[in-house]
Amino acid sequence: MPEPRWGWLIVLYLFLGGLSAGLFFVSALATYLQRGSGPAYPRLARVGALLAPWPLALGSALLVFDLGHWYRFYKLFVTFHWRSPMSIGAWLLAAFTGITLLSFWSWLPAATVGGWVRRLPRRLRFLRVLDAPWRETLRRPLAMLGFPVALGVGIYTGVLLGAVQARPFWNTNLVAQIFLFSAMSTGCALLILVLSLRRAGLEASEARLLFSLDIVLIVLEFFVVLPYLIHGALSPLAVREAIGLVMGGPFTVAFWVLFFTLGLLLPLVLELWEMRPVLLERQTFHPSRGLAAVSAVLVLFGGVVLRYVFVFAGQVSAFQ
Amino acid sequence: MRERLGIKGKPRWALAIDARKCINCKACIVACKAENGVPLGKFRNRINEEHGGSYPHLRASFEPEQCHHCASPSCVRVCPTGASYQRDDGLVLVHANDCIGCGYCIIACPYDARYFNPETRVVDKCTMCVHRVDAGREPACAETCPSRVRLFGDLHDGEGSLRHTLDSRRSQVKKEQTGNHPQLYYLL
Repeated sequence: MPEPRWGWLIVLYLFLGGLSAGLFFVSALATYLQRGSGPAYPRLARVGALLAPWPLALGSALLVFDLGHWYRFYKLFVTFHWRSPMSIGAWLLAAFTGITLLSFWSWLPAATVGGWVRRLPRRLRFLRVLDAPWRETLRRPLAMLGFPVALGVGIYTGVLLGAVQARPFWNTNLVAQIFLFSAMSTGCALLILVLSLRRAGLEASEARLLFSLDIVLIVLEFFVVLPYLIHGALSPLAVREAIGLVMGGPFTVAFWVLFFTLGLLLPLVLELWEMRPVLLERQTFHPSRGLAAVSAVLVLFGGVVLRYVFVFAGQVSAFQ
Repeated sequence: MRERLGIKGKPRWALAIDARKCINCKACIVACKAENGVPLGKFRNRINEEHGGSYPHLRASFEPEQCHHCASPSCVRVCPTGASYQRDDGLVLVHANDCIGCGYCIIACPYDARYFNPETRVVDKCTMCVHRVDAGREPACAETCPSRVRLFGDLHDGEGSLRHTLDSRRSQVKKEQTGNHPQLYYLL
């Protein structure tokens, strides 16, 4: 391509969309995990659900402003083209936005909603329905319903890139898996970051779940990224040349230093180090807020760089 | 061809290109821009240049290229709104009013044949001069070429010159491996 058509707006959208999917995924998981007869991680479920709609809202706005005519975005929703991943993705995003907003509402503290509703002017009194006591009962069904939709939002961006035969850097199903695991991992990381920055800090049980989850996701990401590279290097010439963009080509430093080392390897090491009392079963587990925050920031940074590399390198790659 | 396209009795427009005749005068580019009002800095067709060898044994080859009006166009497949479409006669076109300007088709085209039109803010491309073709004329690029590099015609017309040329001379298409079934035939 003479000049890349998709730029930073798309990079950030891919990151933010994945982030929302990851947040909802962790929140939905936490909604269902029980200890005894009660929920095991009520705070994770709540904070995750309260945060989930907003990165995507920002990302969708970026996406709309990247269009030639931003106001024509509605045209995505008057048709459905099942062979276009972007059409599928637009509908997934719409469904996911609805589910995350409902879930956000169902998790709002009663005192907050009560306060808002009491201050409503007379004309808007009908909005008192927002304070309906039954909204809490929506939490579990919404988590169940949103689970596959969140996974869909996490993976479709990778499918969208992978579905382009003209760009050998993208044209493999592994891109979808990399994006999915990265999305889930960044969701975990943002929760770690937010909770570790709160005055109360990260609870040991929460940290244990989030770190375990994130370690598993990062390891999964490794085991998709490495086959992606190996497979690419053993593919027909056009794919080998495309992989060359990160193996000595212009995206090598971004991929290996910024993404692979700083965004994947280092946070994995930090999180394993944090978890060593659990892994070695020696001492009691006291998560360090500083280390947790640093590893979370690194995971988020890696998520952005990953999308940067794929969006820009993919557009450069082509058949000769 | 007819079976693969699943069309009977209708024309299937295509171009054959005899690149060895090209002298790189760029008249086709100028004609295209004038005919279609293509914005400054944007092009619907181009001439790929290749130079090689070492003095005094040199070579230069020129190869015109534009939209291949593929039989399985990936740009049409990925379009989320249906703005990119293909007519029964094979021409790949864009409904400018339905295009949201997302750029997915620009990226999905293996031939980099599409561009973002900064004036209309939607995607634009070679239309094979559909307005001329529908009026029974050939595209501006084919008509203007002084060395008759381009041969425009109907693949379904057994008596036509395009069918005759492609039947009697060897030809190849570009980047067939992307599966788009391109219909820009380069004569060998």
